[in-house]
Amino acid sequence: MSEVRLTAEPRTEFGKGAARRFRRSGKIPAVLYGHGTDPKHLTLPTIEFARVIRENGRNAVLSLNVDGSRRQLALTKTITVHPLKNYIQHVDLLVLKRGEKVTVDIPLHITGEAISGSLVNHDLDTLSVEVDALHIPEYLEVSIDGADIGTQVNAGDVELPEGANLVTDPEALVVAVNEAPSAESMEAEADTEGAGMVEDPSETEGSASGDEQD
Amino acid sequence: MLIPRKVRYRKQHAPKRSGRAKGGTSVSFGEYGIQALEHGYVTNRQIESARIAMTRHVKRGGKIWINIFPDRPLTKKPAETRMGSGKGSPEWWVANVKPGRVMFEMSFPNEPMAKEALRRAIHKLPMKCRIVTREGGEFQ
Repeated sequence: MSEVRLTAEPRTEFGKGAARRFRRSGKIPAVLYGHGTDPKHLTLPTIEFARVIRENGRNAVLSLNVDGSRRQLALTKTITVHPLKNYIQHVDLLVLKRGEKVTVDIPLHITGEAISGSLVNHDLDTLSVEVDALHIPEYLEVSIDGADIGTQVNAGDVELPEGANLVTDPEALVVAVNEAPSAESMEAEADTEGAGMVEDPSETEGSASGDEQD
Repeated sequence: MLIPRKVRYRKQHAPKRSGRAKGGTSVSFGEYGIQALEHGYVTNRQIESARIAMTRHVKRGGKIWINIFPDRPLTKKPAETRMGSGKGSPEWWVANVKPGRVMFEMSFPNEPMAKEALRRAIHKLPMKCRIVTREGGEFQ
């Protein structure tokens, strides 16, 4: 993945009031830290940053131009998105150095279709991988084309790019192809009828005398 | 129907209807989910009704996850009773759902059928909801 050029501005106002003002004016509050440097508070242009994430994924490497100084490489560490309105609220950026290896979560793309009568369960969405900072793959592909019932793909089975090391437990289950549940098993799935309620005896004694009505 | 096995106090204060969901705001287990857009008390009957609506529509071949549990009792005084004389008796068990919470999740190979099943389930719930996908964002 190549680095993406972006212009950032230093930020001197903090707190929710200032953050909301920045968001209203089309900027995202961000912070840049790492490698023992002091954290730098920045703002990023909302539309440009959203485009970068859409086109390059969440592990995009940015080449930041902060206030006209020399360019700084950065990796997006955390992107906080509003759960209802789906806009980016805040971004954490990590200082990068050329040639260093970073541990990132890379999304998994499941391709192909398992045989009919099966149900595919995704246990993991991402794999933690140690990889060269400037060669982070956008996603990793897992093919389940024509997979039989009972097929399991573990983290160790996923093909990684050259030079990448798996950090996630290689035995961790990524995808399992199970037999599709029958109508009866689906109907009975969450049936907890008769589970009942056992009350705390001390509380029941107290409430028995207080429940009289007019 | 879902009901707690054991409770410390039979009657509780009514749950707060303010704020936003702190967690459980994305689809974690299945492919699609129902996300609450408003606050609401979802009773165990409504949860069961929504689950039945989904299972009856897809018939077989899918999996459903229920991410909420009705652990809060609501009380009610009998009709034509004068005020006072203590708190009423427990009437409903509800889950206190806040905006953003993904309440149900579903895995099913056929996308339009899954969407229709979730749409039917939304009609059983007491608040505005939307269908979301695992990748994030609204299901179009």
